[in-house]
Amino acid sequence: MIRENYLDRINNSNKPFVIYKKTKGFDLYTDFSKKIILNNRNIKEFLDTKFKIKKNYKNTDLLIGFFGYELLNNLIGIKLPKQKSINFPKGIFYKPESKISLKEDLVYKSNKASKIAKNFKININQSAYTKIFNKFKKKIKSGETYQIKICTKYKNKSKIDPLDFFCRLAKSNLAPEAFMIKDKNFSIISCSPENLITKNGLNISTKPIAGTLRKTSKINKKKALTFFRTNIKETKEHNMIVDMERNDLSRICKPGTVKLKKEKTVEEYKDLYHYVSLITGKLNKNIKNIEIIKAMMPGGSVIGCPKISTLNLLNKQEKENRNIYTGSFGYIKFNGDMKFNIIIRSILNYKDISEISVASGVVIDSNAKHEFNENFIKAKALIDLFK
Amino acid sequence: MIYVIDHKDSFTHNVVHQLSLFDKVECDDFSKINKSKLNKASTIVFSPGPGSPKDYPLSSKIYKQFKGKKRIIGICLGFQQILFCEGANIIEQNKIYHGFQSEVLVNKFSKLFDVGSKFKVGRYHSLKLQEPFNSKNFDITMRCVISGAAMSFENNVDKIYGFQFHPESFLTINGKILIKKILSA
Repeated sequence: MIRENYLDRINNSNKPFVIYKKTKGFDLYTDFSKKIILNNRNIKEFLDTKFKIKKNYKNTDLLIGFFGYELLNNLIGIKLPKQKSINFPKGIFYKPESKISLKEDLVYKSNKASKIAKNFKININQSAYTKIFNKFKKKIKSGETYQIKICTKYKNKSKIDPLDFFCRLAKSNLAPEAFMIKDKNFSIISCSPENLITKNGLNISTKPIAGTLRKTSKINKKKALTFFRTNIKETKEHNMIVDMERNDLSRICKPGTVKLKKEKTVEEYKDLYHYVSLITGKLNKNIKNIEIIKAMMPGGSVIGCPKISTLNLLNKQEKENRNIYTGSFGYIKFNGDMKFNIIIRSILNYKDISEISVASGVVIDSNAKHEFNENFIKAKALIDLFK
Repeated sequence: MIYVIDHKDSFTHNVVHQLSLFDKVECDDFSKINKSKLNKASTIVFSPGPGSPKDYPLSSKIYKQFKGKKRIIGICLGFQQILFCEGANIIEQNKIYHGFQSEVLVNKFSKLFDVGSKFKVGRYHSLKLQEPFNSKNFDITMRCVISGAAMSFENNVDKIYGFQFHPESFLTINGKILIKKILSA
């Protein structure tokens, strides 16, 4: 473990770095020898890269970074219409030369004078949201989609100290897939709870989340489980995601190996409870990482179902590029192992504009006001950081 | 070999995975069907999918071409696709079932399953078969215990079978056995 002032030093050095949650504590990656900016042309080549087979791999023999939403659509043959865009890179990966293990309790005190605005602008107000909501409900009735997630975006202009934000977020909301990236002209801070791909050798697993309940003093974890189990709407929404993730794993796994390991359990976070399942499988031999990524991404639980027709409906509707939102962050090791999350609960700060995107699901019996508010609950833990 | 015609659904590969326990399976997008695979297949499966049967004229054409010549199975949209080709109307329901587990009852018309037995199945459908429906050699053999909606049919003369529910869903108890029975019928 590393001395407390290490975070001060790295932050003051102005070197780009990445922090990613591990089972206990965090890993910090830095001293990047390579930075690969991905686009629709070089992504295939990037994913097809063959690494030299070695006896002993170093703990920095990996590429760490993210795929944005547009890139992942393009990879499975879905073209996005022209959208309002801030021209943020579609994906970036780094080759680190140093990896430092950090304790769970991140100690860092920002000494930078930062000007933080508290107020956020939302891109879709409640009445516009309700209109989209009703349109999608018709599409559910006619069978074009069974579940669809409407995305809303909160924006604010602030110069932030991302490490300070991340350390505060890690304290208030320690999520299993939390990460941050700090680079020259952008930063990403995320408390993502959702793992999309964990691949070790031929073993693969995914852990979809569907179902959110706001925490109050009256609801403990056990009561939350009873709520989800007895709530037909939440149960149906979750069932759909479980079958969809089983499907995506079935595309790349040996027949008969895809198993629902943990069915519908509750995980507890600062402001909310989540309804979670765990699905595992054994990969077909000789399967390439590009095939795994194409089968699993973009993660179904944040899109809706069925994936292709729902993506098309969403893309036709959305006027603004999702950027990193519902993309995936993680790493590809040189031995072929991978870990990727779904980028949700995140702040993208690019050229001093912060954006927070959230989405909640429309199924046949959801209610526009409730879902609009659920979006706000999801954004709240992040918006609170600007206080 | 079983040839699965995929209507771009997010459940098709659960179907493929389940069928693979019994035979070699090939699966292609409905718009990119391979003629030689189609001719080689002993069984053709129409997958679930979004939308309604009228959106898939290519699948209807395949059904009509191979009816009576090969075993044909339809699941969810595939079930509706076959009935649509047999002249049925497929209509919107008042109550919609997506990710819903409900109970079905096997009625006296079934030759493959235990008449009178009830079991739980997973459902994902906006649309349903409009009844009354009549077509030569087609019998509705399972119904939803509560609504009475058609949940499966058998045509044991031409070996055509369909399920409105999803035998491959984790919500369907013993879905594997249902598939095994129609593949050995």
